[in-house]
Amino acid sequence: MDELDILKKDWNTTKPDHKKLTVNDIYPMLHKKSSSIVKTLFYISIAELVFWIIINTIPYFCSAEYNAKLEAIYQNDAVIVAITIFGYAIIALFIYLLYKSYKSISVTDSAKKLMESIIRTRKVIKYYVLYNLIMAGTSIMVGFYYAIHNDPDISNKLAASGSSKMLPIIAFLILFTSLFIFGIWLFYKLIYGLLLKRLNRNYTELKKLEL
Amino acid sequence: MNKELEHSFVELLEKHQNIAHKICRLYTNNYDAHNDLFQEITIQLWRAYPKFRGDAKFSTWMYRVALNTAITLYRKSKRTINTQDFEGVAFKIKAEDYDDTEEQQLKVLYKAVHQLNDIEKALVFLYLEDKDYREISTTLGISEVNARVKMNRIKTKLKTILNP
Repeated sequence: MDELDILKKDWNTTKPDHKKLTVNDIYPMLHKKSSSIVKTLFYISIAELVFWIIINTIPYFCSAEYNAKLEAIYQNDAVIVAITIFGYAIIALFIYLLYKSYKSISVTDSAKKLMESIIRTRKVIKYYVLYNLIMAGTSIMVGFYYAIHNDPDISNKLAASGSSKMLPIIAFLILFTSLFIFGIWLFYKLIYGLLLKRLNRNYTELKKLEL
Repeated sequence: MNKELEHSFVELLEKHQNIAHKICRLYTNNYDAHNDLFQEITIQLWRAYPKFRGDAKFSTWMYRVALNTAITLYRKSKRTINTQDFEGVAFKIKAEDYDDTEEQQLKVLYKAVHQLNDIEKALVFLYLEDKDYREISTTLGISEVNARVKMNRIKTKLKTILNP
């Protein structure tokens, strides 16, 4: 008889160590709040969506001056409209993808399939964040570019100081933008890393069995 | 209608609650954590219940949902940290049935099982519950052969823990 069979004998004969719950104990449990990782992931994704929508929308509402400047820079309403429509289409696409992947998470699937559905959902959020970071990075760079070229104040000062100073300024801008984006990315890595640490470990363990 | 559903669910869970308690016993170390996991398993079962069709046995369905909750969904709540271990309570062994050495052996065995990782615990749990390899493999989503191989490795691992 091996160790597990000794254990099995005891497992099936030992009386339960936990007090037996009655029907009245169980009823209130049905309506308590869940603290599962899927629920947390869901709240994070909603926060993510709202956060980036607000970030993208604030400038339009906050300052008429900013809008006027934007229009002056682009000098073309169609470009702004196109960018705005594109932005909202992407958000709508992500909402749809998120909804679909949440729907596919089923607690009655096998352990491996359940883990895969959760990981897929997390990936959708990851791509959404990545998209926003890339857009933020691009906007910062384009913003600087237009500022240098179109703002008479800045271009005059630059012209006065000569072209030798351009290179360090551009290098600094690129470095600043990359650090900013990288910082936010690390922050996300930390949040999701902590939340899904156990899931990732267990998924790796299951995958290892299939090798 | 909803009340009826609730009633039938609560009665079934009351009858089969031991499945969830056993899982809690394997995956938690203290009384609070045990109750917390049991609570989460109950919520997950209740949410999935409307889709439960009578064609499977409630207990079979419950094994899957409860294990998935323990391995994947459950997030330890803050209040279960920093509470005292209840090892002594959890592994109470009926003294009259065993002599000292067997009792000691069981104690060490339970301790050893507690040291296994989440997936190994799931395999051990299903094995102790007398599930065949087909059911073990479909519950975890791995092949039957791999379930067998892993089970043998776990047995060897336990042997080494017991006889170093």
